[in-house]
Amino acid sequence: MAPNEGDGVATYLEAIRQALWEEMERDPRVFLMGEDIGEYGGAFKVTEGFLERFGAERIVDTPIVESGMVGAAAGAALMGQRPVVEMQFIDFIANAFDQLVNFVAKSHWRWGQPMPLVVRGPCGAGVRGGPFHSQSPEGWFHHVPGLKIVQPATAYDAKGLLKAAIRDPDPVLYLEHKMLYRRTKGELPAEDYEVPIGKAEVRRQGSDITIVTYGAMLHRSLEAAEKLAADGVEAEVVDLRTLLPLDDTTVMESVRRTSKVVIVHEDTLTGGIGAEIAARIADSGFEHLDGPVRRVASRDCAVPFSAPLEDAFMPQVEDIQRACGELVAY
Amino acid sequence: MRLTAGIHIADTARVVTRSEAYDPPEYVSWQADASVLREWDQTLDASRSRRRIVDCLTPREHLDLFAGLLRFRFMDTFLKRWVKQGVISKAWLGTGEEAVTVGSVHALRRGRSGDVVGPMIRNAGAYREMGMPMAAVFRSYLGTGDQLCKGRDLHIGDLEYGLVPPISMVAALVPVFAGVALAFKQRHEERVALTWVGDGSTRTGDFHEGMSLAASLALPLVVVVQNNQVALGTRVEVHTRAPLDKLHVAYGVKGYTCDGNHVLDTYAATAQAATDCRKGRGPVLVTATTFRMGGHATHDEAEARDMLPAALFQYWGRRDPVGTYEAWLERSDLRLEEGAGAWVQERDALPQERRERNRFLLAEVARAAQEEVERAASEALESRGTAMPDGSDVDQGVYARACD
Ligand SMILES: Cc1ncc(C[n+]2csc(CCOP(=O)(O)OP(=O)(O)O)c2C)c(N)n1
Ligand SMILES: [Mg+2]
Repeated sequence: MAPNEGDGVATYLEAIRQALWEEMERDPRVFLMGEDIGEYGGAFKVTEGFLERFGAERIVDTPIVESGMVGAAAGAALMGQRPVVEMQFIDFIANAFDQLVNFVAKSHWRWGQPMPLVVRGPCGAGVRGGPFHSQSPEGWFHHVPGLKIVQPATAYDAKGLLKAAIRDPDPVLYLEHKMLYRRTKGELPAEDYEVPIGKAEVRRQGSDITIVTYGAMLHRSLEAAEKLAADGVEAEVVDLRTLLPLDDTTVMESVRRTSKVVIVHEDTLTGGIGAEIAARIADSGFEHLDGPVRRVASRDCAVPFSAPLEDAFMPQVEDIQRACGELVAY
Repeated sequence: MRLTAGIHIADTARVVTRSEAYDPPEYVSWQADASVLREWDQTLDASRSRRRIVDCLTPREHLDLFAGLLRFRFMDTFLKRWVKQGVISKAWLGTGEEAVTVGSVHALRRGRSGDVVGPMIRNAGAYREMGMPMAAVFRSYLGTGDQLCKGRDLHIGDLEYGLVPPISMVAALVPVFAGVALAFKQRHEERVALTWVGDGSTRTGDFHEGMSLAASLALPLVVVVQNNQVALGTRVEVHTRAPLDKLHVAYGVKGYTCDGNHVLDTYAATAQAATDCRKGRGPVLVTATTFRMGGHATHDEAEARDMLPAALFQYWGRRDPVGTYEAWLERSDLRLEEGAGAWVQERDALPQERRERNRFLLAEVARAAQEEVERAASEALESRGTAMPDGSDVDQGVYARACD
């Protein structure tokens, strides 16, 4: 059954399905490639029903070959196709690292050939997935010129960003947070739309402090902001949506308004993208700052399996609230 | 600048003479060896279907194959000379292995919307044979700005000619070419994707993943395993226990073997593989056995001589792909005006005046190849004087569409 039926409210996962479906209907060059995505419908059932509609030539079920898939996506993209690769879990993207950073990312710079491909897959912790099914890989790739990285936090963005990613001439890593798959719902417009790559969004306005975040941490940050509001602190919450390239403009505008910044991400602290954002703010916004740039991130270790360990590992609402409270009082 | 590898048509000498300074010692006073030539003929006759493919080659196509070998050989000679002169610091050569590249490229459909290939370091001859001007290869070594890659990379390619530039990571092109082939299959185009991998590169994960993927999807992909019996500084028997001509069994695909020093055999084997692919019977592994007559690159030729048994150099030196083909052509009926199919079977019985006429034709081909290479090299040197990139836009073009 085509996914875009029923009322306008859809889960984050459904939004992803809709984007894939509609793009495949719209453009015959678009095809999907991944493990168990055909008959089985994908590990998270994102592509359920796709094989029947689009056939095996466009719903390409592959052996367990992450590097093979990404390399093949690159080759097909060179020939004018628009491949979308599914990583069963985004953690397995490590197996395709060489193809991504060496072949794919360098292509346009190296010989002027666009690489219109998308690699998407479930990322993130919070579901007790352990060290190999919970990672946030954005830091690995943030240092790679030529890649674009997006991570939607809402159903609306999930659909709009995926459409934009598929239509984009550059390689896009599309990170979908598995915690949000079924927990996040939203109204989706009936008409076609894109969420532009490279544009952050202010999710909550406030004048006392800026929280810069994305993905599942957006929801924790918004919760923290509500608690802060009860104490009379108004936090502005910026949802990056695109992690590479960063939308410096939106971040800096907010910093100018509030003079204080906390960066919140689920990826681990050291060398995480918070470090880059902090450096940019220090560089071009120093005179607007009224305190140090703070980061709230996961601890510098692997994502643990056991529930209490995982909770201790990653930022909780209270951690965000505390960091903001301290910085406001600075 | 002229190559010392000159051309003579004196009665006793080879048409293509050798250079003491740049050719491997085994090639310097190369003479056709009767047993090697017999072996060459036996290879031709060993397979009926390949023989039929070879018999369809016109005299002109033969001369172009010969020219291809020479262009590649002379290009390498020139690069060596540049290294000696300090123009460049090192070069990766295909000396002794030219027939693998030239034979397989000539078996493909070349030109716009034709087949697509991805050359590795031993396949630089593929650029010119696919139609790219020879100067491009020289420019790539010089890093000039007047190229598609603007000097940003030493590896070059151009889809205009069906050429995808490799990256340094060996065998990375196997999955990429599976994808090229996938696009052809999805669009129902009768095109073939071909890339080469060295014996050492067959050990990578990417070779395995690319082959597995191509096999599972039945893609029109030809992978030529160019077994030159060494991977940089490690001999094939050290790095690989499995027989390289049986690899296809593990993937459940067709496999052909061929003599990598016999340009007609590499041509015919690739033609068979390409036909299989066009009929939906891909992918195909073609294993070509050859030998690296020098170092991994120009810097370690002496080490290669120390490391590899001298007998290997002697054995393969007698099987110089240029010399053996030249000797075969000399005995063949090369009447250009009469088109295909005019081959004299008892080639040794060719009248003396025809053999001389052949030598004259081959010498003409060699002269043209040499002139082309010389012209290309001086064009590239001119670019170095006038068209070096200036660095002002070095970080431009990272994206096809920048986010503003
Ligand atoms: C993934 C990777 N590892 C190591 C290297 C360094 N390297 C370059 S060529 C080479 C040997 C390759 O041997 P083979 O595949 O037999 O090709 P040949 O050089 O003999 O043509 C090595 C180890 C590389 N380029 N890529
Ligand atoms: Mg080798």
